[in-house]
Amino acid sequence: MVKESVNLTINGQPYEFLVGEKFGMIPPSETLVQTLRKRLELTGTKESCDEGACGCCTVIKDGKAVTSCMILTVECDGSDIVTIEGLEDPVTHELDPIQQKFIDCYAFQCGYCTPGIIMSAKALFMANPHPTGEEIREALAGNYCRCISHYTVLEALDKLAGVESDQYEVVKEAHEEDE
Amino acid sequence: MSEYKRGKFNFEAPVVNGRPAEYRHVGKYRVRADARDIVTGRCMFLDDFSVPRMIYAQILRSPYAHARIKSIDTSRAEALKGVHAVITYKDMPKGWTLGWPPHKDLLDQEVYFAGDPVAICAADTVDIAREALHLIDVEYEELPAVFDAIDALKDDAPVLFPGKFKSGTNEVDPGVPHFQPEGPWWKVEGGDVEKGFEECAYTGEAMVEFNKMCSPNAPEAPGCIVRWEGGVDYTIWASSQSPFICKLFNAPRIPKSNLRIKTFNVGGSYGNKQTLSVTILCCAIAAIKTGRPVKLVMSKSEQLIGHEQRLGSKIHAKIGMTEDGIFNAVQGCWYVDTGALCDAVQGQVGVGLGEAQLVMAKCQNWDLDSKVVVTNKCPAGIVRGYGGQELNSCLARIMAHCMMLADKDPIETFKKNYVAPGDRYTWRDGLTWQSRGSDHYPETMQLAADKFGWKDAWKGWLKPTKVVGRKAYGVGAGVIGNADVCEDNTQCIVRIQHDVKGRGATLIVQTDITESGMGQRAAAAKFAAEVMNVPIEKVYVTEPDSLNNVVNFGLCGSRGTVTVGKAVTKAAADAKRKVLEMGALHFHCSPEQLETKDFQVFVRDNPQKCIPIKKLGPKDLNVIGYGEHVEQFDIPSCCLFLTEVEVDLDTGEVKVLRFLQGTDIGQIVDNRMVRMQLQGGVGSASLDTATMEECIYDVNGTGKMLTNSMLEYKCRTFNDMPKHASVIEESQLDTFMFKAVGIGEISGAAGASAVLMAISNAIGVEVNEYPATPDVILKAIKSKEGK
Repeated sequence: MVKESVNLTINGQPYEFLVGEKFGMIPPSETLVQTLRKRLELTGTKESCDEGACGCCTVIKDGKAVTSCMILTVECDGSDIVTIEGLEDPVTHELDPIQQKFIDCYAFQCGYCTPGIIMSAKALFMANPHPTGEEIREALAGNYCRCISHYTVLEALDKLAGVESDQYEVVKEAHEEDE
Repeated sequence: MSEYKRGKFNFEAPVVNGRPAEYRHVGKYRVRADARDIVTGRCMFLDDFSVPRMIYAQILRSPYAHARIKSIDTSRAEALKGVHAVITYKDMPKGWTLGWPPHKDLLDQEVYFAGDPVAICAADTVDIAREALHLIDVEYEELPAVFDAIDALKDDAPVLFPGKFKSGTNEVDPGVPHFQPEGPWWKVEGGDVEKGFEECAYTGEAMVEFNKMCSPNAPEAPGCIVRWEGGVDYTIWASSQSPFICKLFNAPRIPKSNLRIKTFNVGGSYGNKQTLSVTILCCAIAAIKTGRPVKLVMSKSEQLIGHEQRLGSKIHAKIGMTEDGIFNAVQGCWYVDTGALCDAVQGQVGVGLGEAQLVMAKCQNWDLDSKVVVTNKCPAGIVRGYGGQELNSCLARIMAHCMMLADKDPIETFKKNYVAPGDRYTWRDGLTWQSRGSDHYPETMQLAADKFGWKDAWKGWLKPTKVVGRKAYGVGAGVIGNADVCEDNTQCIVRIQHDVKGRGATLIVQTDITESGMGQRAAAAKFAAEVMNVPIEKVYVTEPDSLNNVVNFGLCGSRGTVTVGKAVTKAAADAKRKVLEMGALHFHCSPEQLETKDFQVFVRDNPQKCIPIKKLGPKDLNVIGYGEHVEQFDIPSCCLFLTEVEVDLDTGEVKVLRFLQGTDIGQIVDNRMVRMQLQGGVGSASLDTATMEECIYDVNGTGKMLTNSMLEYKCRTFNDMPKHASVIEESQLDTFMFKAVGIGEISGAAGASAVLMAISNAIGVEVNEYPATPDVILKAIKSKEGK
């Protein structure tokens, strides 16, 4: 059966797209990252390697972290998608605890890979609120960071998970500086 | 650490109990202004931006390493609906030539590497442009190719750019005017090398290669949007780490042009995304031909095969050391493979040669030559360092051989030989400079060694720290420094813009800095906030733009800390001086009796006498201060790199277990930022160059790069990070108001040689091949067993 439309819930908002080759329609070849970025202007999700190897385009689909460059939008019919823009509370503007900890620990440099890293971490914590250090490191193994912000990312996530590690030196967080 | 007194300046922090009192901001972690945008996905990068009527360019790239285009037919591509222009070498005006000296046309009838642009297609969408590329019919005549710098200098090598270089061969002219205004400099010479070696008790001689031309592979691929404004004017949005450098290099390559460069946050660069010349020129010619703004963002594969890689390096050198452990003579030649384009690589060679002198600063006898050579590989350029890591990683192995013969501890040898105040060296401008840097480096090295536990771990040359079953452990050390930390002129304007309501204001720091990860925009804000004594949230640093801002070369060579620091603090101090002078008139006192806090001026001994800055001057007008930094090369930085590895003697697999860096940066500007600068040095360099990273070419077949995707190109992942620690000393260097130097560029640069030293010690035989992959290690173990 030919699919004529795709229904998606993205960051809590329902969307219905027509499938086809005509102007404005979603062609069957369109990837989820293209739909998010070009149609919905959810540009926090980055399109980088386009082969599922860098994790910059990671979003949460039905509770699991997926690389949105490797999924066709037409395959997502009925799915619930969360992107980096969907983590902040839309009313209070309070950040997700992972986002806040990334700021407190300065867990980024250029910040290009950060949304993907946060989404991978979020999916992990949703499934497993108390991961071990090893589980955290495995969950992020598909996220590429070339600036080497790994240590502060791990510090932030270890702290959220209550994991102690001697892999890095712990220094003051932002709010501790003037206390 | 020892006690240091901060130098004198007008706005000195008070001294309490013989120690400087804490700064309000400097030294502390302060959240970057863009932090919230980064973690929420709102932060803007180039590919998130578009302009009205924009179309998209794509590039047809050569499948051959060296070929001549016999025929090219674009008619089928041009006929495709949605295509606006197809451009080949036949359509190019004269003068669109890349490199120094100019030698490679943007589009040429000849192609020089697999990935070289053959045609540009501009269309309504990326998909249409890509489809059109498939409709271009090209017939190539394959030409002989050369993939190695030394081979390219042989008599029978194909000459790639006849008539373009004075040598008449593939050797590029030495020197580049921008970096060497006094004339070309490409050779360290001095003393009497022959006599120098006679004085030596130990000599090492070898050919060492750092030649796998690793890819920096920033997560965000290079890209730009070019809008031709008509006449000579172009507005360019680029994923460049420096608008000013981007303008400086590209303006001469687009004849009769006036470029305005704007940038957003840049998704990683590591020195590698600065000029973006090929990408920008392709869009510029497409913009001229179509009259539309044109966008081009490279695919990851294009970035890997067609953007800049690390320079290839082969060094044949002889180094001599005296009985008491002083390096006394150096002779050799550095063959630099710049791939199919030499884009001011001569400047990198100058810095590399400079850095070599810093680690052997007592040596008076030099004959170290260099040759920059073009080959049929992807162009090479800047990657986490500016030539220093390449040369250091090779010379360090020969230095290690001398130390091994003499049975000297490397830390003790580094301490003796590293540049000290008063030592002289020739820098990349060809001039002789005398160090007035830190005298605290030897002590810093010792503190780092102590924290690492070097004394217990070091068992001697080619001796493992321990062997457990079939796992051998070894430690290694490397040292490097850079005197580029005060390079290039820079300006800054600081303005106090009063709030419309209330007593407050915004402090506007106008200087051209792109955020590509180093956090230096936040540092500029911090410097201004510290001088003016205001909350950092009330400081705004202007958007990067080569037209709206005063001159700033941007962040390269770790120059940001000193040069931005000096220009910003001088500008802020200038504005503050004006405020205090106005306050003195108001309070009928001297400016020295006044202080500022949170945009108020108060009498220091009677703080109740207080007035908002807003009320002091003419109504509505900003108070404006100006500051500048002028280039100098007399403060060398230093970073000692210590590491421990585990080698599996059966499989040859290496695990880097830990690393520690020791440095004296004068003053910590930001406690977290500096650690990230230390950690950052090991990516696309250092540890990975030593153990896993390489660009692999099919040199016996197609000449193509085989590591052309992220599935093929290997690098370290989150679950493979060694332990990190650091020793950061603050000896209050005489650089600028806040006494700091930058460190990011060199923080990992001595790591590659340190890893090879550690591997050699673990397995008991010298390993001098980068990367030391399992096959290299097993081969070395076998050679030892064979002896």
